[in-house]
Amino acid sequence: MNCVELQNSLAEVEDGSTLEQRAHLMDCPACSTLVKELDLIIEAAGRLQEADEPSPRLWNSIAAELRREGLIRPQRPTVSTGSSFSARWGAARWQVPAAAMLLLALGLYVRHQSVPDQFAQQPSVTAPVAKPSELNDDDLMQEVAYNTPAMRGQYEDSLRSVNESIREAQSLVDESPNDEDARRSLMDAYQQKSMLFEMAMDRSLP
Amino acid sequence: MSAAGKGDLTEPRQLKTIDLSEAATIERAKLGDAEAFQALYDKHKRRVYSLCLRMTANTAEAEDLTQEAFLQLYRKIGTFRGESAFSTWLHRMSVNVVLMHLRKKSLPVVSLEETTQGTEEDSPRRDFGAEDMALAGSIDRLQLQRAVDSLPPGYRMIFVLHDVEGYEHNEIAKIAGCSIGNSKSQLHKARMKLRDLLKINRAEKAGESRAG
Repeated sequence: MNCVELQNSLAEVEDGSTLEQRAHLMDCPACSTLVKELDLIIEAAGRLQEADEPSPRLWNSIAAELRREGLIRPQRPTVSTGSSFSARWGAARWQVPAAAMLLLALGLYVRHQSVPDQFAQQPSVTAPVAKPSELNDDDLMQEVAYNTPAMRGQYEDSLRSVNESIREAQSLVDESPNDEDARRSLMDAYQQKSMLFEMAMDRSLP
Repeated sequence: MSAAGKGDLTEPRQLKTIDLSEAATIERAKLGDAEAFQALYDKHKRRVYSLCLRMTANTAEAEDLTQEAFLQLYRKIGTFRGESAFSTWLHRMSVNVVLMHLRKKSLPVVSLEETTQGTEEDSPRRDFGAEDMALAGSIDRLQLQRAVDSLPPGYRMIFVLHDVEGYEHNEIAKIAGCSIGNSKSQLHKARMKLRDLLKINRAEKAGESRAG
């Protein structure tokens, strides 16, 4: 076996373990080096398997598409009320979880109002408590600024965006109270805002 | 406009489901549980994305394909019965997504003729010699990554499927629609090409440091 034949044979038996291959490799340092270098490449290739991470925004795109297709249901309201939270920040910081619960209640109220047989009796959706844009946005931002100041800009953008969505969806519901899609959009918007509050709390927990 | 697509925080939400087994998470995802979906995404995103990136050598395409792979996964998760490992199922789906994409772009998934014919460039090199810059020690991951990105698409696909993802030649033959011999030959050529690329890279670096 010469060097060319050895190289060709490596496609079939890559580790050079046949009798003929071994006989050639014993006498040929160049081919011996070649086999070792190919082994190094094979070994290094395994390290590429999970080498890269997609952009953190990718999940948001996927989740948005899943919601659009109706493949995921809204996230359950799970408001953290652990004692460590209370002990760490005191009573004033309960305004944030309270706002999240209020938003959830508002969203659930909207969904409740969307039951078809109630359309005739309840022609429009009116917030039972307060306007969503007034629900402790400042408190949320204070919470973020205190605990995760680096995220403040992103929270501000998201909060502005979700408040705008709520306003848009609310005006659509006001125009067409029986429009199921508009009601669902409003519910989604409240849900999104509630999630922002929850995220702020998650990040602030130890 | 729905608020659903507007959340643009750049860090995925921390989950409370990390203590759940994957089987339980899959069952919850089948019921449409958003947190379960995200838990599955978080667990498998790196491998799926890395696969897409290695196969396409393009970050934007890789993200699009990763999204498409996970969307297909979630659309079909109700049909997952657990006969194979979930990761195997997902990665097969991801490979199919990438191959469909490459075919749509009319890129040669595998060059069927190259293996038996051989080109001048692919022919075995006879000039082994002491002047070759040896790939001694370990190979730097980034260098290898760049070299893989430089491979022709057909070589790249076989190399990624076999040496990175661990597929067998008979599986690759089925996936790519080629013969087992073709898969083996392409893989060998891909490795030889990578070796050349890595050596060129080392030689360039050595030249730069001498000049500097």
